[in-house]
Amino acid sequence: MTAVLAFVSVSDLVIGLSLGSRLFLIAVGLSLIFGVLGVLNFAHGAFYMIGAYVALVVTNQVVDNFWLAVIVGGLAVGVIGVLIEVGTIRPLYERLDGELDQLIVTFGFVLVIHEAVRFIWGSQPYSMDAPASLAFSVGIAGSTFSAYRLFVIVAAFVVMISLWIFITRTYFGSLVRGTSSDREMASMLGVDVPRLYTAVFFLGSFLTGLGGALAAPLQSVSPALGDQVIIDAFIIVVIGGLGSLSGAFVGAMFVGILQSIGPQFIAAGHIAIPFLAMVLVLLFRPEGLFGGIGE
Amino acid sequence: MSIRDESIGDRIGTFGREAIRNGWTRERFVLLGLLGLVLVSLGPPFQVYLFTEFLIIALFALAFNLLYGYTGLLSFGHAMFYAGGSYGLAIVLRDLQPHIADTIGSGIAPLVTFVIGGLIAVVGVLLLAIPIGWLSVRLEEIYFALITLAFGMLVYSFIIQNPQGLTNGTDGIIVTLGITEIGGTELRLGDRQTYYFLTLAVVLPSIYAIWRIVHSPFGTICKSIRESPDRAAALGVNVTHHRWMTFIVSAVFVAISGVLIAGLANVASPYHSHWTTSAIPVIATVIGGATYFSGPIVGAFVYLYVRWGISRYPVLEAYWEFFFGVMLIVVVLYFKGGAAGGLVLLQAWLLDVRTAYERGGTSEAWAFVRESAAEKQRNLSARLSNLGRSEPSEGAER
Repeated sequence: MTAVLAFVSVSDLVIGLSLGSRLFLIAVGLSLIFGVLGVLNFAHGAFYMIGAYVALVVTNQVVDNFWLAVIVGGLAVGVIGVLIEVGTIRPLYERLDGELDQLIVTFGFVLVIHEAVRFIWGSQPYSMDAPASLAFSVGIAGSTFSAYRLFVIVAAFVVMISLWIFITRTYFGSLVRGTSSDREMASMLGVDVPRLYTAVFFLGSFLTGLGGALAAPLQSVSPALGDQVIIDAFIIVVIGGLGSLSGAFVGAMFVGILQSIGPQFIAAGHIAIPFLAMVLVLLFRPEGLFGGIGE
Repeated sequence: MSIRDESIGDRIGTFGREAIRNGWTRERFVLLGLLGLVLVSLGPPFQVYLFTEFLIIALFALAFNLLYGYTGLLSFGHAMFYAGGSYGLAIVLRDLQPHIADTIGSGIAPLVTFVIGGLIAVVGVLLLAIPIGWLSVRLEEIYFALITLAFGMLVYSFIIQNPQGLTNGTDGIIVTLGITEIGGTELRLGDRQTYYFLTLAVVLPSIYAIWRIVHSPFGTICKSIRESPDRAAALGVNVTHHRWMTFIVSAVFVAISGVLIAGLANVASPYHSHWTTSAIPVIATVIGGATYFSGPIVGAFVYLYVRWGISRYPVLEAYWEFFFGVMLIVVVLYFKGGAAGGLVLLQAWLLDVRTAYERGGTSEAWAFVRESAAEKQRNLSARLSNLGRSEPSEGAER
């Protein structure tokens, strides 16, 4: 055990947590949407990418305010999500085999968004500066980290906690939980289910857009980004449990840390391990390691 | 021996007479189709290449649709069997060709190695598909799509990892088909025309085999599972077992297409096992129409030839995926029959036009055309004004 621990440095751990934090912001929206609507949104990674590009455009061309750019990125993706949900996913709720049709439609949007992004911004990678107020370094246990990296970790924790309070403690949250466990009953009790669905889709899209914008300074922003993160997000929500918020959080941190420390242990095994974990969870605990929504 | 020959000869004779005498019979269509396939080989090399690729993708999509269209399971990991076929052939060609040449002489060794490599690849994929299928068919719907995606990416990471130099990592393995000598004549397997006929000789019987499977009692049970797994189970069908068997059959035919693509592209590439490759049969099948047997074939045709058409306009060339994304969305939302369904509707409509013509000449036919166009327009505007509302529940029993 000590031999293993010797390999894991604090710096790897922090980088892993920051990778996990950005993955959490994608996975939590994906999980929320699946938990309530039963829709597996293949385009969620593409949404994340749009968030990053919009933040980039806002800081470079509109106003040089990072925080405003992050909010605008999240809202823009939320609006795009609502348009897609109302226009193309809503007609499929009642259809037999609707779940697979929704998966195929959202996959169609993966192709459309990928090409649209390439058309508008080109294939070259962009980089984005961290906000000036956080452009300093912090030393922890002998390693130095950019303050921004630590901020992203804190932001993920804040989002997790506020979302948890929102779902378990507010009126809207109780509607979400009720609809997620029995849609027909909720509808009979007077919940406007279509509107609630749209609201949840907005929230999930907003969170992933926010994640994309927040993570933009930590990664290069290119059209390949969406395809890379969606598979990670699938792994996370499966391991944590489709629909589970805490599952998305633990799953994201697991995958993030594995991505940062994995390469040192096993040459290329770190690519295989998440998929292996995904297969095992699907076979033995298809509902995920953590229960349903709000847990 | 002689009896058998005669009967085959007789059958061909009857077939030929039928084709010539009795107007537009099925025999004549088959004969013309075969003639068309031969004529394709005389086209420019690039066209021959494109058509060969179309045949391979058509088989890939058709095999995928055995599972999706006929038992209702959407796999997002069929690339693992496609790559399995490619790598099986490539590894045999790389490692065993010298041994085979030593045993049977270097003349026909390349052809024999290709055949042996193809067989080993298919058997290898079969052995892979048995356990993976057994585990995967326990899950349904989204969960089945996710577990096949995970298995597919496991195979991808295995190939990337390059265990003991077997798969040559991210570079993949170059496939060289070599020159076969039979009785003094040289046969270059890698030649576009030769490879086209080889592909044809493999793909046509495979399509026929799939046709027979779909129209056998086994295929009928598969369709009953697609319509309603619960009712099929109530009638005594072992749903899981049937899905497992279909999974294996589907994987085997995908492996055949994988073997062929390695020979065509001259490489077994890890890209062939990535999930984006698994999306190709999904796109082709959905656009073509999953509920029709010919849907995946039509879809593969659309996939390759629309892509080729787009590539002729440099402005659009780089963005061809955009159009397929739009097609996927439109087909799923408004036209589940896909391109094959469209062809069926078109045929029915043309027959109606002909009936109108026979009833009252050109004016009657023209009136029918205008009337049906107006009706289509009304339907379309009604649909558009309904946009954003949930469909009337066709699946209410669920």
